[in-house]
Amino acid sequence: MTTTFIRHELKAFWRSKNTGKSIAIRIMMGILILYLLLNVLFLGFFLNKLIEVIFPKQDIVVSFCGIILLYYLSDLFMRLQLQELPTLRVQPYLQLPVKRNSLIGYLAFTALLSVFNLWPFILFVPFVIKIIAPDSGAIATLAFIVSLAGLTVFNNYLALYIKRKSNLNGWVFLISATVIMLIGLGDFYLHLYSLRNISYLFFGHLISKPTLALLPVLLGALMYYLNFLYLKQNLYLEELGSRKAAKYKSSTEYPLLSRFGSVGDLAANEIKLVLRNKRSRSALIMGLFIMLYGLIFYTNSHYGEGWKIFVGMFMTGIFIINYGQFMFSWQASHFDGLLVNKITFTDFLKAKYLLFTIISTGFFLLTTPYVYFGWHILMVHFIMFLWNIGVNTTLVLFFANRNYKRIDLSKGAAFNWEGVSGNQWILSFPLLIAPYILYGPFALLHHADIGLALIAITALIFIFTRSFWIKQLEADFYTKRYKIAEGFRNK
Amino acid sequence: MIVINNLKKIYSGVTVVNVPHLEIKKGESVGLVGNNGAGKTTLFRMMLDLIRPESGEVLSNGEAVAGHENWKNYTASYLDEGFLIDYLTPEEYFYFIGGLHQQSTANVDDFLSGLADFFNGEILKKGKYIRDLSKGNQCKVGVASCLLQNPELLMLDEPFANIDPSTQFRLKSLLKDLNKNKGVTTLVSSHDLNHITDVCDRILLMEKGLIIKDIATGSSTLNELEAYFGVGQTVSAALKVDEEENH
Repeated sequence: MTTTFIRHELKAFWRSKNTGKSIAIRIMMGILILYLLLNVLFLGFFLNKLIEVIFPKQDIVVSFCGIILLYYLSDLFMRLQLQELPTLRVQPYLQLPVKRNSLIGYLAFTALLSVFNLWPFILFVPFVIKIIAPDSGAIATLAFIVSLAGLTVFNNYLALYIKRKSNLNGWVFLISATVIMLIGLGDFYLHLYSLRNISYLFFGHLISKPTLALLPVLLGALMYYLNFLYLKQNLYLEELGSRKAAKYKSSTEYPLLSRFGSVGDLAANEIKLVLRNKRSRSALIMGLFIMLYGLIFYTNSHYGEGWKIFVGMFMTGIFIINYGQFMFSWQASHFDGLLVNKITFTDFLKAKYLLFTIISTGFFLLTTPYVYFGWHILMVHFIMFLWNIGVNTTLVLFFANRNYKRIDLSKGAAFNWEGVSGNQWILSFPLLIAPYILYGPFALLHHADIGLALIAITALIFIFTRSFWIKQLEADFYTKRYKIAEGFRNK
Repeated sequence: MIVINNLKKIYSGVTVVNVPHLEIKKGESVGLVGNNGAGKTTLFRMMLDLIRPESGEVLSNGEAVAGHENWKNYTASYLDEGFLIDYLTPEEYFYFIGGLHQQSTANVDDFLSGLADFFNGEILKKGKYIRDLSKGNQCKVGVASCLLQNPELLMLDEPFANIDPSTQFRLKSLLKDLNKNKGVTTLVSSHDLNHITDVCDRILLMEKGLIIKDIATGSSTLNELEAYFGVGQTVSAALKVDEEENH
């Protein structure tokens, strides 16, 4: 039975929409994943050197033993947010004559097939082999690897257990995340205890008493069993799914927007789209993180004037770039409805401009504290804000007319490649290059301010000729609308 | 009201719709029946300018549907959940659709209170997004949003498929009332032969893209259709209603 499951699983992987779409994306994904793994491997390989640099006064084995537990704590925190529950896949087998135990065993086992379980080994095993093996012998090495495996399994199932519980009750997630953070705070801010000492207490003794390795193994086995039991008692669809317990969803209105008539209504709908769906919401939250770019670039005099253009553009326009690159795929699931209703495409486009203008204005206001680094920076931000709502919005919408990929809004953002096509790569070039075409030559001739002025003037021209661009985009859309609608219908 | 000329749609070499000529007059109630894959939904989509036909045209009030938008003012349609904005609450969706037709929220509320029976207390003020409603309740939202638009032409694709028996009967009387008393032209497809012959005055039977029968509903229509669908079986066993097609 298990082999049948595995065969189905492989088919599901190869035939899934995300992997199967185009070879180019698959290659890009492969390269990216390989690159990440290589990075971690590199880090693992030179961990001993790194530790020497970070803790120069301590013996490296002591420091190494100290960080292992810290790693697992942050690993647990990461897993809670990113690791996915391998659950709904069993739905088609539940009503078939398949033994429950083999189903649950399979479910619990496949949970181990996660990239997260590779990381600790890639990171730590090179160190163990390089440093610990020559000093303390094969048995200690084995003990280390076995304890790493035990802790990995323990973390894996603990994270899944918490995630399953929090599906039924959202507080569980919040409380566990807080507890993990408090444990960290207790060490680093309050100095109540030292996690590194605790970690060393165990791993340091592991060298002299290898049998201690049984402890993490026991913990892992215990956690696995707990999961197995929990699944066995709760093998029902609603408890397996990744759906959160439903709250009362109230209707909202944005009175400010309703002044704009249909355009305002459409923009209001899109704001709701952004806020009420996981993936689009994370596009917005990402934007808030980008707000910190300034702290990196402006505090470091190493970065010259030219970087301000880049940083200003990203901070005020990240939402336009991040969310806009997937337009109109966000609305794929109801695009037919938009087409048959009494909505002109002009209004549809105006709503996009309105949405971008509102959110970019918000982001611009959030960047005003950077005035601390000088008024000039605020001016650059304002010019790039104009550039974003003038030029970049039009550019993004031009590419939106060429986007035929459906996006399922209900799925999360992490490692989600749905809706990605060559379009996004191509779009990034003009987005990044265009301002520098205007700015670059003058900057080289030491008249950067003229370059800035040119950017501002171009942006203003685009803003004042908006209705012209809307007409062009509309005409363009009518030649492509069937293809767009067709693509969005393809689940 | 609607005239179709030489309409053809071909998907990878297979003709899925081929309608040389079809005319639907104002005030008619037309039913569309046919097995899965007969081309009903494709025909609907072409009539709503959602897909481009290989050849031919659809005229609505004398104006081609493709390239014009006037028909949207008097046409309301619900083909599948793809017509609903699923992250809105039903109320928000109704206000949005009403707003497109210049109706105030008070107006919409007023209209919706008239549909209380049809909703059976499962749609309004439930604190759910449309995506969290069952398929049947989503269908109710879709149909209600159509009615809200006060259309002259109403197009529904398999509205009876997912809704409960009480709602089916309510929907039937709603459709009859719209057609007989308000003069709305209705075009409804269904796999339920009883319902469709009950509601519609004229039945179009599609097979492999062609309209092979165009009959005015009379006392013998149901038997005629049952005889067609129950090929080679006794009539009583033949009345097997198809499951909802997956769009």
